[in-house]
Amino acid sequence: MSSILSVQNLNKNFGNKHVLHDVSFDLTPGHIVGLVGPNGAGKSTLMKTMLGLFNYDSGSIKIAGEKVTPQKHESLSKVGALIEYPGIYPFLTGWDHLQLFADGDHQLIHIQKIISQLNMDSFIKRKAKGYSLGMKQKLGIALALVNFPDLVILDEPMNGLDPEATKELRDLIISESLKGTTFLISSHILSELQRLAQDLLIIDEGRIVQQTTMHDLLASQGKQTIMLMTSDDKKARQLLKKAKFKTTPDPRVEVVATDDHTMPEVLHLLVEGGVDILDVTRLEGNLESSLLEVLKQSRIKKRLAEEEAE
Amino acid sequence: MWTLVRQESFKLIRKNSTWISTSFLVGVEILFAFLARIYPKTFVPANMFESLYFSRPIINFYMIAATATIITMEFQYGTMKQVLYRRYSRGQILVSKWLAIFLYTFFWYVLSTGIALLMKALLFRHRLNIHQGAGDGMSIFTRGLAISAASFLSLWLLLSVVFLLANLFRNSAAAVSVGIIGYFASNIVTQLLTLLIQKWDWAKWNPVTMTLYPSMLAHPGYYQPLLRMQGWQMCLGNVIYIAIFLWIGYYVFNKRNV
Ligand SMILES: Nc1ncnc2c1ncn2[C@@H]1O[C@H](COP(=O)(O)OP(=O)(O)OP(=O)(O)O)[C@@H](O)[C@H]1O
Ligand SMILES: [Mg+2]
Repeated sequence: MSSILSVQNLNKNFGNKHVLHDVSFDLTPGHIVGLVGPNGAGKSTLMKTMLGLFNYDSGSIKIAGEKVTPQKHESLSKVGALIEYPGIYPFLTGWDHLQLFADGDHQLIHIQKIISQLNMDSFIKRKAKGYSLGMKQKLGIALALVNFPDLVILDEPMNGLDPEATKELRDLIISESLKGTTFLISSHILSELQRLAQDLLIIDEGRIVQQTTMHDLLASQGKQTIMLMTSDDKKARQLLKKAKFKTTPDPRVEVVATDDHTMPEVLHLLVEGGVDILDVTRLEGNLESSLLEVLKQSRIKKRLAEEEAE
Repeated sequence: MWTLVRQESFKLIRKNSTWISTSFLVGVEILFAFLARIYPKTFVPANMFESLYFSRPIINFYMIAATATIITMEFQYGTMKQVLYRRYSRGQILVSKWLAIFLYTFFWYVLSTGIALLMKALLFRHRLNIHQGAGDGMSIFTRGLAISAASFLSLWLLLSVVFLLANLFRNSAAAVSVGIIGYFASNIVTQLLTLLIQKWDWAKWNPVTMTLYPSMLAHPGYYQPLLRMQGWQMCLGNVIYIAIFLWIGYYVFNKRNV
């Protein structure tokens, strides 16, 4: 079976500005994939090109095995999307929008379901002219999901959503993905993405820097940190220092775990040194620091390569 | 394709401006019908009927605006992306907009002709016989229809340019102004045009000449010698120019980044 989305050696220029460089990746069906990278990295451009909104200079984009070009893209029937900000006709109601973009006749029940899942009942029959930012955003997301897509492309979907709506959206994305829908989501809200995405595409200056799973990235980059609460923090710190454990400059007692033995060794040392341990927590590596590290490394590598070339 | 045309029509129907302008058109027709009834010397009933009680200029202005906005509103509201990233090709999207505007123009002409007939029946039952001869072997009624057909055609010549400009500029103000200037240009430059045509015969094949087609039918015998054109040549010229401008617009729309 062909993959739901396959991009090969995609290049795109705006005039003489090279915005996408040899971008290649495949999406695993049914996964939630995060697309992350700094401002101006080319995330929106990549998404728009995949949706046939931009011409591209070379390479190929295939959705369910069919080529996508700006002129012809029947395979987009399998795709729902929200790019940057939702396009909304002020003179139509939310319900009108959903009806307008829904294909086929069996959609009414489905529309109703999305509306209640995103908690839009209170305003869906009102003209969109009077919608708040979050209401518009919800409508945009509902529009992306209205045609039972196999692939959903969302560009900054949490933009303007309150915590409650963010949770509703997260639940909706997870439940759709469990039914087999593939998601490609770009977001700068990394804590949210960390809870959602299984796979990650990291993009910087128009190049895919790394394609990895969330688990691998956090494991490789996130230095596992053990955080301790003790009866005597000062003494604990001294003991750890003497035993040559790596600590962090944090005011709390934190030890950087180098392998699986670190934790029992630390506990032994402190108990034998007469310090009572009140609480132990393992801090997960977080996406933000991991991402920054990956970007830093890739930029160093790139600079070295450039210097070598000269 | 019909799904797309239905969607475009749905958007048009939901706009307040559609209904406001429709009532305005009906209001103007009724007003001029009454004026013709009260002051038949100034507003000659036969001429007023032929001109569909002054509704054609209104149709022209409104259709120029409607054509510009059916394209530019999608850019203005940011909905063009949503409209395009579906299974339909770009060409289909543009053609559906042409068809929607075509049906819309047709609706206005049918409506204004219907109102004109109604006004005639109500106010001029015994004063005006629309089946009486009006020269050229036509009756008032058939000439009215012929002028409508001709102005439909030359309106579409303007609309094909407006479609093109709306696509280029994404801005309705620019497209509407050029459309309206185009509408007046033909009447303003007629004199200059006839001078040119007297000097160089081939100059008559320019698009501005073609927009004089309805005037030519409304004033039989006046324009033919000036423009050195036959009716069928004007008709064909309009069709060819419409095809050319629509095709350029189609090409531009297919190429652009959204
Ligand atoms: N229509 C355009 N014309 C010219 N350059 C463009 C256009 N759109 C984007 N760019 C350029 O392409 C690059 C990538 O922009 P893009 O919008 O894809 O970034 P992004 O990753 O989505 O950033 P952000 O996180 O800020 O949304 C930028 O340098 C931008 O200036
Ligand atoms: Mg962006």
